[in-house]
Amino acid sequence: MVENLIWGYIYPNEAEIQWSILIVLYPYITGLVAGAFIASSLYHVFGKKEIRPVARFALLTALAFLLVATMPLLTHLGHPERGIEIMFTPHVTSAMSGFGYIYSFYLIIVVLEIWLSFREDIVNKALSSHGWKELLYSVLALFSFDISEKALHDDEKLAKRLAIIGIPSAAFLHGYVGFIFGGIKANPWWSTPLMPIIFLMSAIVSGIALLILLYIVSTVFRKQKIDHNCLQSLAHYLWIFLILDVVLELLEIVSMKYESLEEIDIINRLLSEKIATTFYGVQLTLGIFIPFVLLLLVGIIKNRETLKLIMISISSIFVVIGVFAMRWNVVIGGQEISKSLSGTMTYVPVFYSIEGVLPAIIILIIPFIILIVLTKILPPWKDMDKGVE
Amino acid sequence: MQPHLKKAFTLLAIAIIGFIVVRSFIVPVSFGQYGWYRGDAIIDSMNFEIRHAGSATCGEENCHNSIYSIWIDSKHKTVNCETCHGPSEKHVNNVRIMPEPVNDTRDFCGMCHFKSAARPEEFPQIDPDTHGENLRCAYCHNPHKPWFV
Repeated sequence: MVENLIWGYIYPNEAEIQWSILIVLYPYITGLVAGAFIASSLYHVFGKKEIRPVARFALLTALAFLLVATMPLLTHLGHPERGIEIMFTPHVTSAMSGFGYIYSFYLIIVVLEIWLSFREDIVNKALSSHGWKELLYSVLALFSFDISEKALHDDEKLAKRLAIIGIPSAAFLHGYVGFIFGGIKANPWWSTPLMPIIFLMSAIVSGIALLILLYIVSTVFRKQKIDHNCLQSLAHYLWIFLILDVVLELLEIVSMKYESLEEIDIINRLLSEKIATTFYGVQLTLGIFIPFVLLLLVGIIKNRETLKLIMISISSIFVVIGVFAMRWNVVIGGQEISKSLSGTMTYVPVFYSIEGVLPAIIILIIPFIILIVLTKILPPWKDMDKGVE
Repeated sequence: MQPHLKKAFTLLAIAIIGFIVVRSFIVPVSFGQYGWYRGDAIIDSMNFEIRHAGSATCGEENCHNSIYSIWIDSKHKTVNCETCHGPSEKHVNNVRIMPEPVNDTRDFCGMCHFKSAARPEEFPQIDPDTHGENLRCAYCHNPHKPWFV
């Protein structure tokens, strides 16, 4: 049974892999948050007008995923009611306790940013609706209905400042997740100062890809025309961040192989046997190489919008899967090698268990439900539909 | 500053102050007294009822000295009397109160001796399906002196 899953010499407490698929999900979801936020700041901070149609939607996406970012951890650890204690009595030597504060700070920034960019709509709705809707939107507007030009101008100024703070906080939020792994010196597969940056780049990549997919799906559902200019601009950014991502990921492997420290044998075994398919197949080929070529073609080909749309969609799907495989390879791969550096274990996912695939699927579905609810309360499409009309 | 922004920041300030107030109620007063934990936890632990007497007490003169002298030289000398015989503090104070009966099931011995990849290879381990025909282990093995079958 367990014996068949083990090769070589391992320490007694390593036979069972403790960090399951839920821990794979945690950096994945946090990454989607950071990516979506950075995509929205391309418009809010860097003034890339072509991103405008998805800028507000990206903020809602970030919020929807941010609200469930802690859920995999709390499910994994059990006793979610104790989660807040990490913030009540944070210890300076605990990397994990910092997360509570970075997370809360970022949540405040995202909520404020959303509130400011939707305030005009909220006030208009509060003034034009009746009954419980009026109450809801009045509460959301904090009972201040000033949407004079000056007020909106001030909002915009503050929103821009918040977005400027938001970018480093998004980078911190996800860089920190990479740091949690990168700071574990006992594990050669994790211990590298590059880890936070690799996590951040793949986060941005996955966030933009998810945004592209959600934008296409929501546009089809709303029976609107797709803004190809916006889509191709997003694809362009996806391509750029994909290059940065692959450079860093390969740099890490190449330097590991070139340095050939004592752990190289077990790393080679990990890459050639344990995670060969998910690393070379899914993470590098499916998740990076194919989208890279497709997006390059999107940049070269003139006109042919439908073909480009299909190519962008396929790339985005592959990227989203590829980044999940990257998280898998880091979290599960790192645990499949023994700290003795001369043995390996195998992770076998279970389906029906608190640590299983089923809760992971449920947790991954929840943000989409939250996003649907959010877009019902705060429709982010106003500007765009006007443009199409 | 615009009045709506004032309201928003007031709300934020209230939330942060609320957090600090709730924290001051929830974090125990003795937290941090000795270290990064609740100081009173030590007093709580001190007040636990003593349940175990320790193997040396079992082996005192006029008690279970003979079996103790066999066990103390055996491979099982790291497994204390009360591991199998149950907590005995009450029994030591009053011999009429007997400790719990010995747990001699196969599963109990198996907690240490069923085959597991996580154990050192030279540690005695058996496959419960093929070894011992489902008899109680003590039927063949002497738990006080293993390998004295």
